Amino acid sequence: MTRPARYSAYGLARRGLTGAAWPPAWRAHELRPSYDVVIVGGGVHGLATAHYLAAKHGITNVALLERGYLGGGGSGRNTAIIRSNYLTPEGVRFYDRSLTLYESLAADLNFNVMFSQRGHLTLAHSDSALRTMRWRAEVNKLQGVDSELLDPAEIAGLVPHVDVSDQPRYPIVGGLFHPPGGIVRHDAVVWGYARAADANGVHLHQDTEVVGIDVVDGRVRGVRTNRGPIAAPVVVNCTAGWSSLVCELAGVEVPITTYPLQAAVTEPVRPFLDTVVVSGTLHVYVSQTDRGELVFGASVDPYPSYSTRGSLEFTEGVATHVLELMPALAKLRVLRQWAGLCDMTPDFSPIMGRTPVDGFYVDIGWGTYGFKAGPVAGETMAELVATGTTPELIAAFDLARFAEGRLVGERGAAAVGH
Amino acid sequence: MRLPPQPGEAIDRTTAFTFTWDGRSYPAYAGDTIASALAAAGVRVFSRSLKYHRPRGLLTADFHDPGCLVQVGDEPNVRAAHRRVEPGMTVRPQAVWPSLRWDVKSANQLVGKALTAGFYYKTFIKPRPLWPAYERVLRRFSPGGEVPAEPPDGRYDQRYAHPDVLVAGGGPAGLAAALAAAEAGLQVLLVDEQHELGGHLLWGDDGDRAALRDLRGAVAAADGIEVLTDAVVTGRYDGGRVVVLQRSAPGVVERLVKARPRVLVAAPGLIERPYVVAGNDLPGVLLSTAARRLVNRYAVRPGQRAVVLTANNSGDAAVGDLTRAGVDVRRVLDARRGDDVVRVRGRRGVRAVECSDGSTVACDLLVTAVGWTAPTSLLTMAGGRSRYLASAARFVPADLPDDVLAAGGIVGDGSTADLVAHGRAVGHEAARRARGLPPAHVADLEPGPHPELFHGRSNGIVDLAEDVSADDLRAAVAEGYDSIELVKRYTTATMGPTQGKLEAVNTIAVVAAATGRSIEETGTTTGRPPYVPVSLGVLAGRRYQPVRRSPMHTWHVEHGATPLVAGAWIRPDHYGDPAGEVCAVRQGVGIIDVTPLGKLALHGPDVADLLELLYVNRWRKLAVGSVRYGVMCTEDGVVLDDGVTGRLGEDRYLMTTTSSGATTVEHWVERWLQTERPHWQVHLVPMTDAYASINVAGPRSRELVGRLTDIDLAPEAFPYMRVRLGRVAGVADCVVWRIGFTGELSFELHVPAAFGQRVWEALLEVGADLGVRPFGVEAQRILRLEKGHLIVGQDTDGLTQAYGAGLDWAVKLDKDDFVGKPELAWQRARDDYLVLVGLQPVDPAVVPPESCQIIEDGQRIVGRVTSSRMSPTLDRAVCLGLVAARLSEPGTTVTVLLPDGRRVPVLVMPQLAHVDPEGVRLRG
Repeated sequence: MTRPARYSAYGLARRGLTGAAWPPAWRAHELRPSYDVVIVGGGVHGLATAHYLAAKHGITNVALLERGYLGGGGSGRNTAIIRSNYLTPEGVRFYDRSLTLYESLAADLNFNVMFSQRGHLTLAHSDSALRTMRWRAEVNKLQGVDSELLDPAEIAGLVPHVDVSDQPRYPIVGGLFHPPGGIVRHDAVVWGYARAADANGVHLHQDTEVVGIDVVDGRVRGVRTNRGPIAAPVVVNCTAGWSSLVCELAGVEVPITTYPLQAAVTEPVRPFLDTVVVSGTLHVYVSQTDRGELVFGASVDPYPSYSTRGSLEFTEGVATHVLELMPALAKLRVLRQWAGLCDMTPDFSPIMGRTPVDGFYVDIGWGTYGFKAGPVAGETMAELVATGTTPELIAAFDLARFAEGRLVGERGAAAVGH
Repeated sequence: MRLPPQPGEAIDRTTAFTFTWDGRSYPAYAGDTIASALAAAGVRVFSRSLKYHRPRGLLTADFHDPGCLVQVGDEPNVRAAHRRVEPGMTVRPQAVWPSLRWDVKSANQLVGKALTAGFYYKTFIKPRPLWPAYERVLRRFSPGGEVPAEPPDGRYDQRYAHPDVLVAGGGPAGLAAALAAAEAGLQVLLVDEQHELGGHLLWGDDGDRAALRDLRGAVAAADGIEVLTDAVVTGRYDGGRVVVLQRSAPGVVERLVKARPRVLVAAPGLIERPYVVAGNDLPGVLLSTAARRLVNRYAVRPGQRAVVLTANNSGDAAVGDLTRAGVDVRRVLDARRGDDVVRVRGRRGVRAVECSDGSTVACDLLVTAVGWTAPTSLLTMAGGRSRYLASAARFVPADLPDDVLAAGGIVGDGSTADLVAHGRAVGHEAARRARGLPPAHVADLEPGPHPELFHGRSNGIVDLAEDVSADDLRAAVAEGYDSIELVKRYTTATMGPTQGKLEAVNTIAVVAAATGRSIEETGTTTGRPPYVPVSLGVLAGRRYQPVRRSPMHTWHVEHGATPLVAGAWIRPDHYGDPAGEVCAVRQGVGIIDVTPLGKLALHGPDVADLLELLYVNRWRKLAVGSVRYGVMCTEDGVVLDDGVTGRLGEDRYLMTTTSSGATTVEHWVERWLQTERPHWQVHLVPMTDAYASINVAGPRSRELVGRLTDIDLAPEAFPYMRVRLGRVAGVADCVVWRIGFTGELSFELHVPAAFGQRVWEALLEVGADLGVRPFGVEAQRILRLEKGHLIVGQDTDGLTQAYGAGLDWAVKLDKDDFVGKPELAWQRARDDYLVLVGLQPVDPAVVPPESCQIIEDGQRIVGRVTSSRMSPTLDRAVCLGLVAARLSEPGTTVTVLLPDGRRVPVLVMPQLAHVDPEGVRLRG
């Protein structure tokens, strides 16, 4: 196995002078008739799973199948916010491990994912919102996660453009500040994992759609694709948007309803917003990228759909709410809007682990919080596949919990909690 | 340099004024754009490029010009080649330091070869602690203008429109289409991006201007055409809604027009494409349309010595215009005969052009006319497609839905007469379809032949807004980013403020060549709204934010109430002394405005069935004149809402909900009625605003209400949990029920809203001698906590099922069915949930803030405090909390972790109520 050319400032300078091209970050392959593991879905979850399978467990005879292009689904459509200030101890521990992995991801993958830990501020506009924040802050502190309540004056100090007066319709009464939170370059995470997985021998197959999953006597035997069949004793469903339909191919029923989640980005302006600002009451979150664009998101659309078209109602609502928070932004212009698909579960927590079909694993139901969990999901799914033992971090998220009444209620922290 | 008056010029030379650019004063005429006035004064550099900070000047000289984004006062990213200049305007260059002329960041050009696309992914990786410092430097290179600290002046507005036909584009085809539709008697909304109607005829020759005069005259004379200029269609959304951004609208900064036309006609014309060759971004490289616009519309001579590269009649016409304007056209390179530009030389601007015959021509202007892009994104947003036509070297519309038509240049080529004829035919067909007639085919205008010219033999900039070169795209392909979507994301080509209008096709062409695929196979990226950037201000419009106030709101304000924002409502939190208000209620009598309580009138023979289904408790035997407390759960057994519902007549009920749950419950009831039990005869009327609601609470409440009503309030005539109808303070049709959220004897009055304040004031007046006091939400919260009455959503959460909320007594699992029954039956069989209990800190002076965690073994969470207050009645802290079932035994001491880190012992009480657990006061 040849290691890829290392990325570095020296390498950039050298190739800049000599004009030598960088080698491909990943390669195309023919489909093999069989693999040890087939991963369905070429987003951050699938790629991270493939990477950790190869890098930590030495399992390299792995095919990752992607219907379109790498990172073309939720991984390329989310608003790239990373945080771990969840509400349940299970949620906090899990996402905090992800945040730790994100912190060292650039070095681990030799690919700068531009993780910008600029802090994550959630605003409260009511007593009840403040109460939920204190709940989160207390749970976070107990789990060793940096999270604190701020009063309006402290908020004004942190984000000068936010209107903390009593003029807005829903005045700000406080906020939850989470310093380690921030934003990351989402595509870079996808490409970094893809490059690392490819270097370890994983086959990344783009434009390869799974059209059937073969199950015999309760065991998975392989998949059928638009490019031909693949035999495999292990199939991992790492899709989003269509995850329930992929499960259906294996005859596995999952409690998932799919909703569009929209986002928008503005023209760039000079940096003025250093933290991620979220308002659950106003259903909006805002951050400024290193390129100067403001990225906006909101809660999922009010009805289930597989549509990825943007709506006017969304941009109107976002604009109204952003101007409630930061009235000075009236002349900033929205450049682009889009939508992604979110698989919502009844308790706003994912479904990870085994299914009633032997060898068919799922890493799905990621709602609106899948991107921030990508690294830890990949790490734990790889461990499960490699060792056959469910890691403690994801034990609470198994599919059986819905039948056994062990829900992990994250609604309060996850619903608009970017 | 300003030319003598031109026959088609847009400027008014009788109105001259000055404005400021980069700190210096410049002259302008009315009708000038910022850029045309500056160009007339000899300014050539308007901005610095994103990555290499190369000087940039005019290229397209219209809205989409990537090098002309400037700061105007407090407004960032203004399109200087479109925005009309105004007297005294302050215009500044963006993101340059120390100045536009000497920008230190142009040093990036020296290391340009290392700054290939995506270079930032390959460096700044180690050492990790330095990344924040690297990032700060990187952020300093972000482009764009500045956001002001204060909200800008001016208002934004929105408007609805329902034209029969909306025509997007006011060139010859669009004008003709609008006329044809209007002649058919239809209402037409005609929208054009420029400041005047006319499209490319505006900068055309005498014949073009004559044709335009006729068309504009006909439009002005026609009935039924509304014209919006300086307005642009930003998107076509689901349901056929077409959104128009009106940039110049009287009295407002901008207006958004939300139109629902029966038929949309897209007649946007064509966008001229830049040529990708080394030096193509230098100031002095102009598109042919830009050169013609500058000369003919703004009387600006764009240079002194020019080379023209032409592959079409627009380039040919530009040669004529430039010559007439006194420009020395040194060389005309005809691409149709194989002539080409090898590279453009210069540093601050064009100095010379290297031609394909080996010669180098000294000049300060290169004008290119190498092809067109059809702006099909509006059509693809509407569900149409585009297909690549190699013979015309452009994408053309295909497979349009029936309610969308395309007219003119976007479809094909022709003379002005051809474009007008096609516009008329399309307008006629649009009118037919708007009338509901079946679609008929309109003969397409054929696209003429055009050589495929995208990039030359040297490396030029493909995306001028993002500073992405052809070599950047090729490098991305070589690194494996080989689909158009991946290239776009990796290099950011087409993702800047021009949104692909100028660079998308060139990007596709370079990627196609690099991958060995055809342009057709390479395909386009997804066109997404908006077509042009739209301000947050205009999207928000007037920012209408409804506020709900009770009829007694003014009284509260006048009497010193502190307002509380409670969802949609503004309520009195207190009148200065919540503890005093509590004492008044406990010792005498108080009144509170509870108008926001959700109220639903239910009529019909099946109401009892509905209540049996939606509440966990029993309703069938509720007698007329009685009320009952009810709890609703969702299918998963989680408590949704609670409230009191009374039976006012045989088939007539009034349901109340919590204030915050009013809308949710209304939707919930409707959902069950409409989708699950449509055969039931139940009529639901939301009454929340129809009644003003007043709770009269306290031991002397009977005496007080008795003075204002003829209803017999004697305990035996009107016992606890009963309802009576009658007059209160002379107001007929009041509903009075005896309930007790506060734990005191109390009467809740629902009076017709218009009389709310009258009854409120009457109560205070006749009760003066009883010491009646108004009390607010805070006092009510204390009172109910003392009594141990839970608040859904505060003492319960998204997972609290009915048994966990201590509602065992209400759940009737022996009922045939109710929503949530299977889950609750299951919950009762288990003990792994949190239970709501009354809690009292051992130290009576410590009030643990709500949401403090209850912990065990140092840090394991076993519950939390859900409500807490200092009780004025008991003079000690009282709480409610959720704890693990095994810790819920009365007398258990649990540990509460305070936010400051202290751990305090708290005692689990035998019941939720801290005051009067037997309910003696309530039933008195």
